[in-house]
Amino acid sequence: MGSFEVDDLVKSFGAGAPALDGVTFRYEGAGAIGYLGPNGAGKTTTLKLLVGLLRPTRGRALLNGFDPVADRVRALEDVGAVIETPEPYPTLTIYDTLRTVGELRGLAPADVDAEIDRCHRLLRLSELDARVGALSKGQRQRVVLASALLGDPSVLLLDEPTSGLDPAERVHVRDLLGRLKRDHLLFISSHQMVEVAEVCDEVIVLHRGRVLLKDRVDRVSSRIRSREVIVEFGRPVDRAALAPVRPLAEDLTAVSDRRWRVRFDGRDESRDRILAACLTVAPVVQFANASLVLEEAYLDAIGEGTGPRR
Amino acid sequence: MPDDGQDGPGTPAPPSTPDAPAAAPPAPGGQDGSDDAPTTGTVRRRTVGEFARWWTVTRHQLAHYVRSYRFLGLLAFVGFISLLTLAFQLDAGVDAVRIQQLNKSSEYLSNFLDYTGLWIILAAAFFAGDALSVDFSTGTGYYMLVLPVRRRTLLAGRYSAAIVVTLAIVAVYYVAAFLGGVYFFGASAIRWDLAALSFGIAALFTLAALAVAFTMSAFFRSPAAGVLVTVLVLYVGFTTLQGVVELAGVEPWFSLTYAGGAMAAILDTDFVHFQSIPLGEDQYYTIWSANVGEGVLIMLGYLAVFLGLSAYLYGRKESTG
Repeated sequence: MGSFEVDDLVKSFGAGAPALDGVTFRYEGAGAIGYLGPNGAGKTTTLKLLVGLLRPTRGRALLNGFDPVADRVRALEDVGAVIETPEPYPTLTIYDTLRTVGELRGLAPADVDAEIDRCHRLLRLSELDARVGALSKGQRQRVVLASALLGDPSVLLLDEPTSGLDPAERVHVRDLLGRLKRDHLLFISSHQMVEVAEVCDEVIVLHRGRVLLKDRVDRVSSRIRSREVIVEFGRPVDRAALAPVRPLAEDLTAVSDRRWRVRFDGRDESRDRILAACLTVAPVVQFANASLVLEEAYLDAIGEGTGPRR
Repeated sequence: MPDDGQDGPGTPAPPSTPDAPAAAPPAPGGQDGSDDAPTTGTVRRRTVGEFARWWTVTRHQLAHYVRSYRFLGLLAFVGFISLLTLAFQLDAGVDAVRIQQLNKSSEYLSNFLDYTGLWIILAAAFFAGDALSVDFSTGTGYYMLVLPVRRRTLLAGRYSAAIVVTLAIVAVYYVAAFLGGVYFFGASAIRWDLAALSFGIAALFTLAALAVAFTMSAFFRSPAAGVLVTVLVLYVGFTTLQGVVELAGVEPWFSLTYAGGAMAAILDTDFVHFQSIPLGEDQYYTIWSANVGEGVLIMLGYLAVFLGLSAYLYGRKESTG
């Protein structure tokens, strides 16, 4: 089983504040870890340090127990990585591109074609003799993902893995990541909260080079989930009609003429009272946690989610 | 929110612990059967030696070069110039060419191949001037540098591929020169042993020029800068400097382009190491030509120094972009 770890990792570029400042975490086995943070938080820097594209100013990064700078072959031979926007040579075909990766990952010659075929089907790639330069952005991104999966590496480091994909492709890749995490260790840096919420088991929130939050996704989400519900009434309800609910709520936001988002203090009894109050207004067909809860938690963590969302 | 840092190494937090959320449900079947593909491969890994990795990288890079417009364009250009030269000579006629070349095949070949250095420098700039900088200025590095291969091996593979394509272009020019030599002077008039030696020196010049270009490529982040500076240094820079020091009567032993003169010089049976032309009273302008031994030594020096330097720079460079 694969592992990755960073230990008191610091990376400075010049004299300013470090891009990463003492980040520590370690994972092994199988599962998916989401890595969240605003632009410039240090997510990509962490990934680059993990694969040896950057050298740590202090601390260390290890992949499967090996230092990617000092022992890059052993560190990377069981790792698939998609960082920033990788660009395979546009002159080469998909097959040539994948074959090189397979050979470098040490696949037996007889297995390379079978592996290419497996990844071709997994990522729904174009014809293998198509030139990379002739592919659309989404198709190229799928070739890059296929390269990461080729040879079945135990660790996958993915920086915005669905970037450049259309919505259908995004759903497909998200499903794929959900299946992959059963027997692979995934580290996913993403701005797509839905992606992280759906795929990941744990989440690390990074801000200004420091880890602000590290916990299981359900626990992180529950912090917000308990403070906001969506109520769907059986008929249209206006703000005036919600007078019984208003004293119990910190904020009321119309989602549609039948649906309202209710923010409250998060206590269970308040939640029950809100439901009871809603039932006095109109028939309630749904009373559920608000969606995008992880996004709320994330914004809260980085200090930009203190007010009610509209 | 508390800062992280408490969970140090040795405190694994496996996300797949029993209390972790259930894994995502199986994806719905894809219409094209993609979801039948297993997410886990049944692959057999083998230990790959550095030689095998080098071979893989070389083939990868070579395939890229031979399908690139640069290679096809330069090949076509050198082929066109060669054919044009032969066409003019054919138009002049055998007798005129023989008279012009002092009735010696060695003179003809030496003059024809005098431009080989220029083609090699252009090829070096085209194929090697950005061979390493692409890893730090485009997404190529994010593709290649995350693969299990040492940077030294990557450099060696790309360098080897650049040698092959550069020599392919040089070979076209040599073939044209010797076709002309055979046509105008006859095969028996040509010293084929010297011809082979000349091509060997051209190959050594190729190695040295590529080493310089790889160093520029490792030094500069911009691919265009690597290509431009390679041409400026190897051709304009050295040629100008060579002229200046020759005015002072000094042999330009430091210049790679000076050493490259040995490619043609070896074919010239009337070779002279230096020639002093009187300019006035007690004033001479000395023209130097590298002899084979000297030229080979200079090229070997450039090869060792610049290949080492390019490996050092490339190995230390970070993807900060």
